[in-house]
Amino acid sequence: MAAKKIYPQEHLHDRSQHIFGDVNFFSKQMRITLRNCGIIDPENVDDYLSVRGFEALAKVLAEMKPEAVIAEIKKSGLRGRGGAGFPTGLKWELTAKAPGDERYVICNADEGDPGAFMDRSTIEGDPFTVVEGMIIGGYAVGSSKGIVYIRAEYPLAIKRLEKAIEVSRREGFLGKNILGSNFSYDIEIRLGAGAFVCGEETALIHSIEGARGMPRPRPPFPSVSGLFDKPTLINNVETWANIPVIILDGADWFSSIGTAKSKGTKVFALAGKIKNTGLVEVPMGTTLRQIIDDIGGGIPGGKKFKAIQTGGPSGGCLPAEYLDTQIDYESLAAAGSIMGSGGMIVIDEDSCMVNLAKFFLEFTQDESCGKCTPCREGTKRMLEILTRITEGKGKEGDIEKLERLGNMIKKASLCGLGQSAPNPVLSTLKNFREEYVEHINEKKCRAGVCMSLVSYEILENCTGCTACARVCPTQAIAGEPKHLHKIDQKKCIKCGICYKTCKFKAIKRG
Amino acid sequence: MITPLEIVKKKKEEAIDRIMSKGYLTKKRVYVGMATCEIAAGSKDAMAVFQTAKEKGLNIFISQKGCAGRCNLEPTVEVVEEGKAPVKYGKVTKEVAQKIVDQHLKKDEIVKEAVIN
Repeated sequence: MAAKKIYPQEHLHDRSQHIFGDVNFFSKQMRITLRNCGIIDPENVDDYLSVRGFEALAKVLAEMKPEAVIAEIKKSGLRGRGGAGFPTGLKWELTAKAPGDERYVICNADEGDPGAFMDRSTIEGDPFTVVEGMIIGGYAVGSSKGIVYIRAEYPLAIKRLEKAIEVSRREGFLGKNILGSNFSYDIEIRLGAGAFVCGEETALIHSIEGARGMPRPRPPFPSVSGLFDKPTLINNVETWANIPVIILDGADWFSSIGTAKSKGTKVFALAGKIKNTGLVEVPMGTTLRQIIDDIGGGIPGGKKFKAIQTGGPSGGCLPAEYLDTQIDYESLAAAGSIMGSGGMIVIDEDSCMVNLAKFFLEFTQDESCGKCTPCREGTKRMLEILTRITEGKGKEGDIEKLERLGNMIKKASLCGLGQSAPNPVLSTLKNFREEYVEHINEKKCRAGVCMSLVSYEILENCTGCTACARVCPTQAIAGEPKHLHKIDQKKCIKCGICYKTCKFKAIKRG
Repeated sequence: MITPLEIVKKKKEEAIDRIMSKGYLTKKRVYVGMATCEIAAGSKDAMAVFQTAKEKGLNIFISQKGCAGRCNLEPTVEVVEEGKAPVKYGKVTKEVAQKIVDQHLKKDEIVKEAVIN
């Protein structure tokens, strides 16, 4: 048969190496969620059908009762890929069993972490998979209505998803009596305006309802009382994309991948000071070192590794001694970081950890919705202290104050945003405390990033090559060719371009 | 009665026939990355080069694809030919795309300097 000839392997996962020539990057990965990304034409249903698209849906409708689908997902050990890691099958079961005549299914595509693009790539590369996963979820919990909540700043993802939904309707995968069964289901798209907090499930639900995007205390959980107070099943894009594979390749196969408590694979957006930036999907249990060295290709320019930050803006920074940490929900939490939705930033010696913590806190502080006081006021105060420290105005007791505030915000905040916002600060305080002490006591920034703590001067071995004077954006460097140059400290903005330009190590950073 | 599985299997066979009729197995296939990231890196220019070549009579199969995750090497293009190892190109600018057309697609000479190893 022709199908055999095109795709000799009949299983769904991991066909990337077969298609790509780029073996070094892909052979160390395992692709389940991204199995079709970069392989098929995302806008052509023929391509999706030819890679066994909608076969999982057909199998479910033809051979499985809703309870059997839920049992299969439970058995697979799949956990929520949005970051919290709640067992997916259990969530499905709770929603299915909740009393009520109407139920909703939601796909959380409000990917708000700066630098994260796992969900966007999944939708843009393989939108039908998400649609198929959601239909199966709808069948399992007895829903007739699915909603994709996606941010408006992803226009291409939205366009492809709209097209996929429209084509699925035309082909009979959505709508009344799907594939001749008595199951009816449809999906619509709701656009979010891009607030980070709307990735939190209760805030997201409020946003769909037309209310202000703010979280509420749980319980009741959405599985019991969610959208319009009806039982609601809400899963992340990556979670949905795993569903068809589990149905076709089997829960036993899926649960054989990964660690004792975390099964399957996880997609990471690898960024920062790394040779191969990109999207990587690895089995749970892979170590951070394997990702950085084997797939990422190490740090460019012979620089030294300093830290790795996992889990987006609210994840922790882990130093070199944690590089052999296995990637799963529990191990990352024990190391002081989080799985999160899959951001992974590699940091080298050129970064100042205090400044980095400040950068992430600026983001979460700005995105705090303001409903609960610990998050609204606490992050603001923490940011003020951090700003002071990076400006050379740090005081005795600042570190302790940051720790006290951070722990308080973690414990007392209403939702995940506040509960995780202090992570970058607390983890850098734990692992890079000496940098904070240096900033406060010695007014020194070892990475030369905090401008108020840095000064530049030209040493005697200056050859007068004029290179520094030519690149200085404020013309702060003066001197005759072949004679010693001098920096006018009043004009200097401490950008460090001269320091990087000098080939004779004649500029000193202090 | 026809079962859902039979419906999907039939749809799949029809889909494969449609893909085959475009010359899937007989032509060189060119896959151009067209996700947001690839487009931002300039993949529309590369795509235009391949399409122009096809319009001018070059007998190839062109398809867009999503992002495979090779951020720093985008735009990426793959050239696949039945029975041969696939070739993956990185940083495919307009100029590189034209080289792929002139050398690889027309003369079977791989543009070595742009291949991702």
